[in-house]
Amino acid sequence: MSTTGWWPALPLVAVALAYLAGGRRLHRRGDRWPVRRWVAAAASVVTLAVALLPPLATHAHHLFAVHVVAHLLLAMVAPLLLALAAPVTLALRALPAGGRRRLLAVLHSAPARVVTWPPVVLVLELGGMAAFYLTDLFALALAHPAVMALVDLHMVLAGFLLATLLVGPDPLPRRPGTIGALLTLLVAAAGHDVLAKLLYARLLPDGAGSAADVRLGAQVMYYGGSAVEVALAVALMAAWYARGGRELRREQRRTVSAPAPAPAPSPTTPTPTPRTTAPAATPARG
Amino acid sequence: MTTTAAGPATGRSVLAGVLIGVGVAAFIDETVFHQLLHWHHFYDGSTLEAGLVSDGVFHAGGWLAIVVGLFLFADLQRRRATVPKRVWGGGFLGWGAFQVYDGLFQHKVLGLHQIRYEVDLLPYDLAWNISGAIGVVVGAVLLVGRARAVDAR
Repeated sequence: MSTTGWWPALPLVAVALAYLAGGRRLHRRGDRWPVRRWVAAAASVVTLAVALLPPLATHAHHLFAVHVVAHLLLAMVAPLLLALAAPVTLALRALPAGGRRRLLAVLHSAPARVVTWPPVVLVLELGGMAAFYLTDLFALALAHPAVMALVDLHMVLAGFLLATLLVGPDPLPRRPGTIGALLTLLVAAAGHDVLAKLLYARLLPDGAGSAADVRLGAQVMYYGGSAVEVALAVALMAAWYARGGRELRREQRRTVSAPAPAPAPSPTTPTPTPRTTAPAATPARG
Repeated sequence: MTTTAAGPATGRSVLAGVLIGVGVAAFIDETVFHQLLHWHHFYDGSTLEAGLVSDGVFHAGGWLAIVVGLFLFADLQRRRATVPKRVWGGGFLGWGAFQVYDGLFQHKVLGLHQIRYEVDLLPYDLAWNISGAIGVVVGAVLLVGRARAVDAR
């Protein structure tokens, strides 16, 4: 969706190499980095490459529906996979003591707390998309590759924040409970739906092509976005179900040793998993 | 275990039912009327902006409800705490309430598409809203009176 060149491959290769270096350092000192995170990281980089490089990026320039496919891959699928790859956790474990201290200071800073607060994440996610598709920013970005690159970067980072908030294992200053996460997902998904229908109704963005082309793109955005959001909801609830299962087993062990009836845990207050993935900060979910 | 209408597990059975009911109604609306019959339109040109927002929340809420409802139901089942009568009651209530909201508020007040185009709407509107109202009544009936959890049988 970016320019019609190969240069986006450079930052992608850099990110992939950094992740690889971190994982290798862990393995060399005998630590285990889960295979599923390696797979998620590889899939994320491949998805970004498909979205940003020819041939898709070339066609995205001329056909709005193709642009939307690239956008869904770039702003929703790849950030979800990246969040599941837990890059911040990997950095915390792989960096030397000094670097880790600096990264922790950033994670605990006031700006990090603000930028990971669900309402702010929603504004970054939906506001960014609205600004891109409903204003002249779209035409501007098509004309200026640097603007498009900044828009792309914003979409990936906002998507990463949202996915981390909902299902990612990376540590956050404050993690919403299951109800809070579901409400965040509901607002994000409803916002995407409204935006897609607005594009259809008003034939936006300007300069995207013929009416038929814009309408097709808007429908791809509507249904494609919903598909990724269903996956997010399933991942979120599967993590809740797994936590409930662990709690249930603990309860049953307690009942065997000391027969006192324990109250059923409420779904509104998820217990943090004992498996901490990073020093300090909130324990990861899932 | 629970043999009366009270108790947290009973409330959760109702909640799981309502969520699944709303989700099924939204799913039927989307697949049958939009995709299979093509009676509904993606956007029909007369929808108010408030209609688009309501539609977005209901589309997103519909599939979110079915995912959350099914996981809640699975959780009740593994705890052997399901109260089937309450799940059905919640289910009918959720399905009927969604249909009536869609038929009266979204279609008529917000002008968000009609059931079908270029036909006499009255029989369609009556069928849609009355079947929804029946769902609400059946659901309400199932939510009162005694009910047992699966475990207590």
